[in-house]
Amino acid sequence: MTDQILLYPVIIPVVAAIIALFVTNAKGVKEGLTMLAVTANLIIAVMLFNKEMVFNMPWAGFGFDFSLRLYHFSSFILLAAAGFGFLVGLYSIAFMEGKNSLNQYYSYFLITLGFVNGAALAENLVLMLFFWEGLLLVLFGLIYIGHKDAYPSAIKAFVISGVADVCMMLGIALTGSLAGSLNMTKIHLPLEGLAIAAFIFMMIGATAKAGSMPFHSWIPDAAVDAPLPFMAFVPAALEKLVGIYFLSRITLDLFKFTPESWLSTLLMVIGAVTILLAVMMALIQTDYKRLLSYHAISQVGYMILGIGTGVPAGIVGGIFHMINHAMYKCCLFLTGGSVEKQAGTTDLKKLGGLAKTMPITFTCFIVAAASISGVPPFNGFFSKELVYDGALERGWIFYAAALLGSFLTAASFLKLGHAAYLDKPSGKQEVKEAPLSMLVPMIVLAFLCVLFGVYNPLPLNNLIQPILGERLEGHNFAGFPHSAFLVVMTLVVLGLAYLNHMYGVKKTGKGSGASDHIHYAPGLKGIYAMAERRVFDPYEIGMKLMLWLSVAARFVDKAVDWIYEVFAVKTAESISYWIRELHNGSYAVYLMWSILGLTLIVVFFLMW
Amino acid sequence: MTTLLILVPLIGLILVNLPFKNARRTTFWYAVMLSLMQAYIVLTSDKIIWEGHFDPIEEYFKFNLKADNLTLVMLLSIGIVAFCALMVAKHMIKDEGDLANFSNLIIIILAGMNGVVMTTDVFTLYIFLEITAVTSFIMIAFFRDKDALEGSFKYIVLSAVATVLLLASIALVFMVSGGTSFEAINRAVHANNENLILTAALALFTAGLLIKGGLVPFHGWLPDAYSSAPAPASVILAGIVTKTTGIYSLIRIVNNVFGFSGSIKNILLFVGIITIFVGALAALGQKDFKRMLAYSSISQVGYIVISLGTGTELGLIGAMFHLFNHSIFKAQLFVNSAAVEKQAGTRDLDKMGGFSKKMPFTGLTSLIACLSTAGIPPLAGFWSKLIIIVALWNSGHPVFAGAAVLASVITLGYFLVLQRKAFFGKLAEGYEQLCEAEFGLILPAIILTLITVAVGLLFPLLSNNTLIPMSHIF
Repeated sequence: MTDQILLYPVIIPVVAAIIALFVTNAKGVKEGLTMLAVTANLIIAVMLFNKEMVFNMPWAGFGFDFSLRLYHFSSFILLAAAGFGFLVGLYSIAFMEGKNSLNQYYSYFLITLGFVNGAALAENLVLMLFFWEGLLLVLFGLIYIGHKDAYPSAIKAFVISGVADVCMMLGIALTGSLAGSLNMTKIHLPLEGLAIAAFIFMMIGATAKAGSMPFHSWIPDAAVDAPLPFMAFVPAALEKLVGIYFLSRITLDLFKFTPESWLSTLLMVIGAVTILLAVMMALIQTDYKRLLSYHAISQVGYMILGIGTGVPAGIVGGIFHMINHAMYKCCLFLTGGSVEKQAGTTDLKKLGGLAKTMPITFTCFIVAAASISGVPPFNGFFSKELVYDGALERGWIFYAAALLGSFLTAASFLKLGHAAYLDKPSGKQEVKEAPLSMLVPMIVLAFLCVLFGVYNPLPLNNLIQPILGERLEGHNFAGFPHSAFLVVMTLVVLGLAYLNHMYGVKKTGKGSGASDHIHYAPGLKGIYAMAERRVFDPYEIGMKLMLWLSVAARFVDKAVDWIYEVFAVKTAESISYWIRELHNGSYAVYLMWSILGLTLIVVFFLMW
Repeated sequence: MTTLLILVPLIGLILVNLPFKNARRTTFWYAVMLSLMQAYIVLTSDKIIWEGHFDPIEEYFKFNLKADNLTLVMLLSIGIVAFCALMVAKHMIKDEGDLANFSNLIIIILAGMNGVVMTTDVFTLYIFLEITAVTSFIMIAFFRDKDALEGSFKYIVLSAVATVLLLASIALVFMVSGGTSFEAINRAVHANNENLILTAALALFTAGLLIKGGLVPFHGWLPDAYSSAPAPASVILAGIVTKTTGIYSLIRIVNNVFGFSGSIKNILLFVGIITIFVGALAALGQKDFKRMLAYSSISQVGYIVISLGTGTELGLIGAMFHLFNHSIFKAQLFVNSAAVEKQAGTRDLDKMGGFSKKMPFTGLTSLIACLSTAGIPPLAGFWSKLIIIVALWNSGHPVFAGAAVLASVITLGYFLVLQRKAFFGKLAEGYEQLCEAEFGLILPAIILTLITVAVGLLFPLLSNNTLIPMSHIF
């Protein structure tokens, strides 16, 4: 095997994407092409798994080489991305049928996959940034084609991610100049002085890509506007993979990041705040997809919290949670897609009784929901236990926040499942089970959720713990959690969540109202109302600030305009008039000027 | 070769005016042939023939002529502009006898200008300057109408002053150097450092040439002369005559004869910047097509002089390059104005409007020339202005550089006024029957536009092969 094989995971999807973009009419060609590309990509990813390889090619000069490096971490991300690419690609065929702009959808989908592969493989930071920023373009495109009014959401996503990417760019530039190299393997900076700024900039870029607060607010909007497989593929799976992958690279490789550092605490605070605020918002949502999207934000908090602890248990937990989350959240979004496709709506108030008509979807939902809520023995339980372990080691407050987050997560999924699948339907329409090509991806993902839970040594020993290497300090986190205290607390919390749910259902009489007692609780009610009006949305606040700035800039602009359009013109006109008046056509005057000029010249020459 | 460029026109002039039956008819074509041949020889000839060593004619006519790179550029411009003026004359002068007379004048002025640019002696220079000047007086007053006579008379009055200054200066120089050749004077300047008489001579000579070149405050004659002259005379006057007699001579005298001193640099910079601004601002308010071009011409000459004032090699290149470009695009604008005047019968900008619709070639070519004058890339004028501004900046005159940039905004301003009033917008009332000028009158405009565009686009090639060697003169 030559090194050039490393190029294929980037080239194959991108080339297929470019072809797909130009196939506008022929039926089935785009889909076939996409499946061909994702299958080839998956095969290559499997072949490359756990290999070590380096590819180098001169690129832009100035130390910006086109260098790719394959090792266990990047091969793991490559494999995971390929898996999701294959499953979501399969799902899309049935889901997207009959929709508009299919050529653009498949094209952007494949470019996303190729660029994520590129970002995961890149060894050179600038090359990484190239793929990273490239993702921004297709992100915009994928949301934009959702429907004809989707462009404000697309612009929002573009602006927010763009700001974060600028931070990333600054961080990379700083790191490159501090370290004197742009190759990731050669960089290992101590966290002091400017390196702290570089770390924070890159951390902002990475966490924002993963969807953490305060760069999250485009996700719920996109959930409503973008095509659903996009949500399952990009914010739920690939952006988490690549964002958390790079966050791990920063903390593990690029900087000497230790639990003693205040930056570790900062990361944990970001994680904890993200968990709590996002899950609070998720709880009160009444739309299937919007609810899931807030969880996509909230769960990132666990990963950041885990990695931020800087202790082995936390880091392993964080990365493990990343892959687990990608699987169950992808699965959840896919169930949401099935519901949308079959029932025609995702509004929880209108849904109900789907458990009978869509039993397979329901089963998959149950598995994935149990995973995200951290019910043993599903995968989410194990990764969350590890995160708790790490958090508790650093401070009980972080543990408490994470636990509270779990409580609310469980509560919101009880509500979601109850409202969508168990309640009586409000309409009378006949709902059928989703087609096979949509069921298969869900079943595979649900199966993996169970597998990664029940037999967790498989992922932990093969995928995750090798990444830490020596930093593992001899621990082995495979198997059932060691701390009985943590397990008991988790179970208690889950029980409390169930009780809370029953209380809410009893009070309102329907599943979709299970969280109303929290939603309309005194004190919270006002805050929720403001949050729903996007008062706290950093994007909206930024836009308002921009409005003020633009009003101020308008005044300055008008003043400048006045100088150019009135002042300058009037001055020029009056001088012009004056000069014309001087040219009165008299010989004598002209002659006098000449004599005067001559005198001046002679005097000047003789004096100096 | 150098001598032939003066002898052939003069001998031909006598032949075509012999009292044979059809001799005078051939005058026009003889002039056309002369101008084209001149351009052709300059473009294709080997450098060696310009040295003057292998010239048997030299033995009999001791003109002491010499041609370096700068001279060649000037000879080329003279040929091109004279050809264009002839084409305009053919269409603007109806009477056959008048056309023959005018062609005669062009042949004389051609010989005169060739002499100016090739001579190596200040007194010979003076004689050729006078030949050129007297011919232009006649050209301006060619149709003997009141305005033209007035314009011509103003030119004569101020030119007389210049003549006095030049002659006085030559006399002073002769006192010190004992010879009038450039070399002799240059030796004298080096031998007598800070000599009062030589300094006075330089001052007088400079002032005389500034009058000839029409720089502020010596420019009083220029707008009247340019705008009242018949169209073909305007083309050749604005295009090349004042540039040769005034600016070329100034470059030669300052660079090769007296050498750059601190005070001459300061004077040139100062006169240059004032000229640029007065010319541009005066042009801004003009209502007459040709008058606006005349003031624009004053302003552009200011650029050449300010560039010369830097005294650096780059400044010299900028000055020559802009001199060439300016003679091309200003000649072209006067050709355009001739076309408009002929077709529309007016020069009043306020009465025009929307002529581009009816006269597409004239409109387009004049627009390109205007943009080139204002220094819009990638046209020729952009590069020469860029060189001038860089030269100013590099020689430690950032304020002048900034002012030059500002003035080129004003240039763009008045030319856009010109374009808007004459060519853009709605067709003015009463011009529904307007049509494009004859091909013969558009042809020179097209040729000159092509030169402007080609020089602009090929600048990277020209800069190394033509422009840089241009500064190695004498």
